[in-house]
Amino acid sequence: MLVPILGSLSSERVLIFILTRREGYAREIARFFETDLDPIQKQLDKLELGGILVSRTAGRTLLYEFNPRYTFLKELKNLLQKALSFYPEEEREKLLMNRRRPRRRGKPL
Amino acid sequence: MKSIKNMTNAELAAFIESHLLKKGIYVVLSGGACVSIYSSNKYVSMDLDLVNVRFAKRRDIRSAIQEIGFQEEGRHYRHPDTELLIEFPPGPLAVGEEPVKKVDEHKLPTGILRIISPTDCVKDRLAGYYHWNDLQCLEQAALVAEAIEIDLEEIERWSKVEGKLGEFKRIRTRFVRKAT
Repeated sequence: MLVPILGSLSSERVLIFILTRREGYAREIARFFETDLDPIQKQLDKLELGGILVSRTAGRTLLYEFNPRYTFLKELKNLLQKALSFYPEEEREKLLMNRRRPRRRGKPL
Repeated sequence: MKSIKNMTNAELAAFIESHLLKKGIYVVLSGGACVSIYSSNKYVSMDLDLVNVRFAKRRDIRSAIQEIGFQEEGRHYRHPDTELLIEFPPGPLAVGEEPVKKVDEHKLPTGILRIISPTDCVKDRLAGYYHWNDLQCLEQAALVAEAIEIDLEEIERWSKVEGKLGEFKRIRTRFVRKAT
């Protein structure tokens, strides 16, 4: 959707994933889009270097999220939201329907 | 000319900035080093964040800074005669959502230091506090305000733009003493 602007499909995938999930790590994003890890990792590095994303470690995982201090963050998110609204419903739901809140251990489904 | 070993943070920043400018690369000091400079080292930063305002190519920066003895280490640059890490964060030069409108210039023995103003330095630190709840950033902002005159009304206006007016009002007293 935004490849002509962002320059790569991996970049769009990374940004859309982080928009919808708030944070993500390279393998998780690659697995979600059923793609190779390497281009996703490269885009994460590039976006971090550009000040758009920031990373932090959680255990042995490097988690990425939007840099709240990125000057164009509001505008970027608006653009991504609009692009997301054009995604096929199935893919949009898959991205959005992801439980992030905690669930007590042992609680039956 | 002083040797790099004997330069203060401000002198080293001025030296690097002036050298890069000769190569057409315009960078401006921002971040924690400005807190060190404005607070007369009450806070010590070991980084120099020289914002790459006009988006010079990384390879051009690398080649220019190597000429004065710095070597690339990951995303930073180091010199054998200083502990300071040099970084070139990408532009634009901004505090939160707004561009920095005016860059201060100070003539030092090693070159011209281009640095964000004390008021923008406080905003820059407050952005870290507002968005990451980083209390160290709040303390740094307060150190600058204690040491040097800042424009508190401007910081209040900016905080409103950032959607943090309520938070600013809560911490305002930390900045009152030296306000204009």
